[in-house]
Amino acid sequence: MLARSRPSSLPWLPKDAIPSPHSPTRFTLAVKDNIATADGHTTTTCGSPFLSNYRSPFEATIVSQLRARGGRVVGKTNLDEFGMGSHSVHSAFGAVAQDSPEQLAGDVKALRSAGGSSGGSAVSVLLGEADVALGTDTGGSVRLPAAYCGVVGFKPSYGMLSRFGVVPYANSLDTVGFLAREVRPIRELIVGDGTTQGLWAEHDPNDPTSLTPSARKRCARSRQFYSPSQSPDPSILNGLRLGLPLEYNIHELSPTIRDAWSRAASLLQSHFSARIIPVSLPSTRHALSAYYVIAPAEASSNLAKYDGIRYGVRDTSVENDAAADGVLYASSRGKGFGPEVRRRILLGAYTLSSKAMDNYFLQAQRVRRLVRRDFDRVFALPNPLVDPDQQVFDLSDLPEGTIMEDKWGPEEVDFLLCPTAPTLAPTLGEVMEGGSPVDEYVNDVFTVPASLAGLPAASVPMPVEGEGEGKTAGLQLIGQYWDDARLLAVAEVIREILRG
Amino acid sequence: MGRIPTAELSRYLLYGQLSRRGCLRGGITRISTTSALRQSRFFSTQIDTPAGAAPANVPLTPLRKELKEQAKALKASGKKKKKNSDNQTVPGWELTVGIEIHAQLNTARKLFSPAATSFNDTPNSHVALFDVAMPGSQPLFQAETLIPAVRAALALNCTIQPISRFDRKHYFHWDQPAGYQITQYYHPFARDGRVMLYARDGIAAEDGECIEIGIRQIQMEQDTAKTTAVPGNVHWLDFNRVGVPLIEIITLPEIHHPATAAALVRKVQMLLNSVDACVSGMETGGLRADINVSVRRVQDIATGKLGTRTEIKNLSSFKAVEDAIIAERDRQIAILEAGGVVLGETRGWSLGNTETRRLRGKEGEVDYRYMPDPDLGPVVIGEDLVQHLKGTLGVLPDAEIDELIELYGLTTKDAMSLIQLDNGARIQYFYNVLDSLEERLRAAGSASPNSDSPAGQRHALLAANWCLHELGKLTEVSADLGMTPDGECNVPSVDLAAILFHLHRREITAKVAKELLWAVFRGQIPRGKVTQAIEADDLWFNELSEQDYAELADKVVEGEDKVLAEFLRFKQGKIKAYPQGKLMFLVGKIMRAGPEGRMDPESAKRVLRDRIEHVYLPHMEGQ
Repeated sequence: MLARSRPSSLPWLPKDAIPSPHSPTRFTLAVKDNIATADGHTTTTCGSPFLSNYRSPFEATIVSQLRARGGRVVGKTNLDEFGMGSHSVHSAFGAVAQDSPEQLAGDVKALRSAGGSSGGSAVSVLLGEADVALGTDTGGSVRLPAAYCGVVGFKPSYGMLSRFGVVPYANSLDTVGFLAREVRPIRELIVGDGTTQGLWAEHDPNDPTSLTPSARKRCARSRQFYSPSQSPDPSILNGLRLGLPLEYNIHELSPTIRDAWSRAASLLQSHFSARIIPVSLPSTRHALSAYYVIAPAEASSNLAKYDGIRYGVRDTSVENDAAADGVLYASSRGKGFGPEVRRRILLGAYTLSSKAMDNYFLQAQRVRRLVRRDFDRVFALPNPLVDPDQQVFDLSDLPEGTIMEDKWGPEEVDFLLCPTAPTLAPTLGEVMEGGSPVDEYVNDVFTVPASLAGLPAASVPMPVEGEGEGKTAGLQLIGQYWDDARLLAVAEVIREILRG
Repeated sequence: MGRIPTAELSRYLLYGQLSRRGCLRGGITRISTTSALRQSRFFSTQIDTPAGAAPANVPLTPLRKELKEQAKALKASGKKKKKNSDNQTVPGWELTVGIEIHAQLNTARKLFSPAATSFNDTPNSHVALFDVAMPGSQPLFQAETLIPAVRAALALNCTIQPISRFDRKHYFHWDQPAGYQITQYYHPFARDGRVMLYARDGIAAEDGECIEIGIRQIQMEQDTAKTTAVPGNVHWLDFNRVGVPLIEIITLPEIHHPATAAALVRKVQMLLNSVDACVSGMETGGLRADINVSVRRVQDIATGKLGTRTEIKNLSSFKAVEDAIIAERDRQIAILEAGGVVLGETRGWSLGNTETRRLRGKEGEVDYRYMPDPDLGPVVIGEDLVQHLKGTLGVLPDAEIDELIELYGLTTKDAMSLIQLDNGARIQYFYNVLDSLEERLRAAGSASPNSDSPAGQRHALLAANWCLHELGKLTEVSADLGMTPDGECNVPSVDLAAILFHLHRREITAKVAKELLWAVFRGQIPRGKVTQAIEADDLWFNELSEQDYAELADKVVEGEDKVLAEFLRFKQGKIKAYPQGKLMFLVGKIMRAGPEGRMDPESAKRVLRDRIEHVYLPHMEGQ
């Protein structure tokens, strides 16, 4: 039941495990177990029975990059199988929780969810076992655990950090993300700290979706804070336009979170001269559905390789008549995957089938484009990956009642400010005995849009009052594409302000 | 006429490298694929061999009787097997065929990994992480694979698409580690091509002198791993082949005769070879065809609706294409005539069979769940690349065959053979021999080497005949010519040219020339030493003088008055035909009477005719 990743125990690793071949240790690093490490003794399991003893012959680019910067890998962290889940309970190694069972006298159901799927990574930084943890964020898998555990989570622009060596869940959405207790270590890794180069500038020729060096430079040209010398201070908020998406005020949003969100916005406005501007993202309501079509579709394809022959255990109890019907695989795959992965593979296989393709997969791709358009319309900065001609918007496309700044249209913003999750961390009891899988999917409603659009987003702890007094929720900042450096600078300032 | 090998061209276009040997022509040697008996490359699943089909205690019947009875039974059932050429149409029915041809591209690297492509190397020695779908590995499109692909598409008159994309085609099989094959389903890189088929390509007589078949599209895709079945229901997998680039060529359903279908596949292979786009032909397994067959009644043609089609997979010879179509057409017609319905299904064909067999039906049809590959961006092919490849395509086979026929006087059959042999290397060899021969003739100042003149045609024809027929005899025994793609073999072109030079100038006899060829082939004459060898063994043709021939003739005709009388009868108009037979009889006698190796039958014949005309007959008339 207990998380293999509970960082208080990293039993599979000797204490002084992996000496960095590159540079002296400057920080400890935990690595989500769907990111390949190849040090001779760690496995890369993805939380799946299929890979329970899989040792990767190669190391993920991001791990090498961090070790070159002084990161010492102290362990691999538990996760939802292949990154599919919002509470890190769907793992072959048991569920992750943010409290230790001793605290609650063994009452497992009362343990609080660490969020998912990078739950193990969030807990490892929460408890101080690692300074920085690597996670992966496909639809919120770094930001949600950060929000639940009260730490910082960052998902970069798609194409900034190499995915080579990251076992894919949904390639077009997957990003490598960081978790830490503060924003600063993350910002210094992305932007550079004066002594090491920022990760933002490093192209990986092994990842075909990694932006080329020239594209990186072109994108960064119209962006600020990519120079390590620019250190943020609260004056950054002066006149900064922060958009509150009206569509994020959904009925599933708990009042506690809603209050904390509006309090945080008021504070930034009244004390730090930020401008709070209501904005409209009309495609939001469809984004979650689109995500749960696209991601499972890609997952069903990516996971086809786990067939019980080269990976996992082959089910030999059924007759080997593979030549006729492929039963050889069906049984092994059926037994090898956990229920949540099975559900998503079936979902994906259906939405890609020739009869459903048009109504689901293609429709979802159209929604995805609309979601990105929504973002491009509200952000003041243009999207460097989109033709400028396509970023001209017609006022007649806007929903009724949109507030106009002037005759040219509604006011544009620098960042969006919204909650990371609609509720505080639930208990494992609530998660596991709760309603349908769809209830779990709702947790991703605020994080999925940025993933669909490939935008950078960060979650910082936000104190709550009233019912959850003393606890923290996550406050999410979403920025325009490749505005990662400024986003982290603003997040760093807001993190300080909200600390109180 | 030289063609630039694909490997060299892609080095030049992609990396700006030129051959250090100074020019773009020739010089690249590739691993010869001719020597080894390669396993058929496309049998991904094992071949079922029927277990011991020994007849049990059948009473012995004399073979003759058995055959007779079989023939009788066939006749009675009206099922006598017709020759294919007489079996191209069935009255009242129209056949429609579309073909998908898979061909392996001639590239140094795999489609999505920098691992090398190879043949017969140590199994599993050229495998990148992505090839075996290691978790976390990603595809890296190898741009150089585009060069042979685009050349192939241009040879098939396709329009190259500026943007194409890769899709995943999902199905489970052990020879496919990722669980999907990457192909181009939604956006192929080439569309709307056409192939012209002429009578000489072997199309059905019903299709007349020539017919144009449309190409719907050409797509790039990955090959699968090679499966080798070993005893004990065990399969060995060689992942060297996984991810090797293929193109799939899909024709429009515009073929209506079985022979034309086979001709199309043959023609496509010839075109691909001529632009060096593919590594090997059908006989070595580098090419494979799937065919879609449907039939409809002639009166239904006007409706524009085709009948239900079946697909026959994995045909690996031209004959199999034709035979399978005939068998499947007849099966469908029989079903429809019996009032049945043709089911859309996938069928198989084994060589030597008379019927296709069902593999799987529509209900067992795999839904491939095509999905755009989210890791791979679109492939953008610039117009400049297309133009460059168009400009360096060289002469295509049809133009070349016309040239061989018109310029050198080859027969159509010989011209086609020359072009197709050794995957297109034989014609290159011919050009090498011809170049070398003409150089020597020029240097010797004899006979204008200008091929346009009748004299030029004579030496070119000589060279063609030797490159085709005499060279062919060398391999009748067992050995291999070792022909390389740039047209060199165990008989160096300069040495064959030297032999032909002396033969053409009548400095050696044809017999000696043939012996020299064998000696060169066996390595008994060192390279470039043909003339020296003739000199050393004194093989020069030291021909008798006119006087010597005349004396021999006089001796031979003694006592042959009866024979000579025939010539007289011809002269007097008593018989119509010249007694050629008698003449040759006398030539034979002369040849036997004279010294071996110093006579040419042509000379003997000429002198003899002259003597008969001017000496013997006047003498007889005078008597």
